Amino acid sequence: MSRRKKKHNGDGVELNLAAMLDMAFQLLAFFIMTFKPAPIEGQINLKLPPPKPVAGVQGGEKAGNDDNNRSAVEAISTLVISAFSTPGGRIQTLAIGEGNIAGVSALDGQLRDILKNPDSPFDQVIIQIGSKLRYEELMKIVDVCTKQTLPNGEKLTKLSFVELPADAQP
Amino acid sequence: MSGSSEGESDLTPMLDMVFQLITFFMLVTSFKAASLDLSLKLPVVGSARPVETGGEESLLILNVNKEGQLVVYSLPQDIVPYLKAEAKMARLEAKRKTGNFKDTDDLPTTVVVRADKDTPFGLLNLVIKTCQDNGFRKFALKATDRAAL
Repeated sequence: MSRRKKKHNGDGVELNLAAMLDMAFQLLAFFIMTFKPAPIEGQINLKLPPPKPVAGVQGGEKAGNDDNNRSAVEAISTLVISAFSTPGGRIQTLAIGEGNIAGVSALDGQLRDILKNPDSPFDQVIIQIGSKLRYEELMKIVDVCTKQTLPNGEKLTKLSFVELPADAQP
Repeated sequence: MSGSSEGESDLTPMLDMVFQLITFFMLVTSFKAASLDLSLKLPVVGSARPVETGGEESLLILNVNKEGQLVVYSLPQDIVPYLKAEAKMARLEAKRKTGNFKDTDDLPTTVVVRADKDTPFGLLNLVIKTCQDNGFRKFALKATDRAAL
């Protein structure tokens, strides 16, 4: 108090900054302790509709609606990729339709060949995946698929996932 | 400096500096990071790129650990009831924004899936399928790119 008196006797009013500094330090401590920089993450955007029949039926009727309908299928519009997994969750076998392919890099080339054809009827991809396949391995396949361009110039983003039974074999 | 002769230090520069630090931390702090489970190890995918939505798109962030547990704001959640409730909220929001939104329409919310790289597909598919059953169609699968490592 004696100090204050001395100051008041001086040439003006002086604020006691110590209290403000205390509060500022508390605020600073709060922000330092809660500061958690967000990691830089990328993402792959997809449209994931529920799996649909791989072929259309004449007349626009939905496939499987009528058991007695024997009309021929219009066209196969869905490309089916199968990925079987090892018990450890790695890719064991990859296949497009019925044909096996050597690996993810070969899948890239095959898909490009199929989709570069202007008459290619495919507009979506169904990926059949072994239930033990790890997310990391799945993303390699998704990465290859989303790099592809459809004959109409659009990027392939329409994918569907189907789970294969755990004991499914190629 | 007025009190320097009496052994009193001038606190003004220190206060200035502290306020500058506070301003810095206020500007860079994002509470969005709290929704991310940073213990998850994301897969590395070359083509994964950060996407800026400009804050206009609504996002539903789902963290899935390698046991297939859904973790939201550090709390494990039951998959089916949680996603049903989120879908209901998203539907209400979509109706509020666009008057002609029908219950059968696809939800405009993007589901951001942050799964551990070792999560088996069977467990991850349970989350994705439940989202699809509740009307979500737009998904973003999170990964890191090599440059970020």
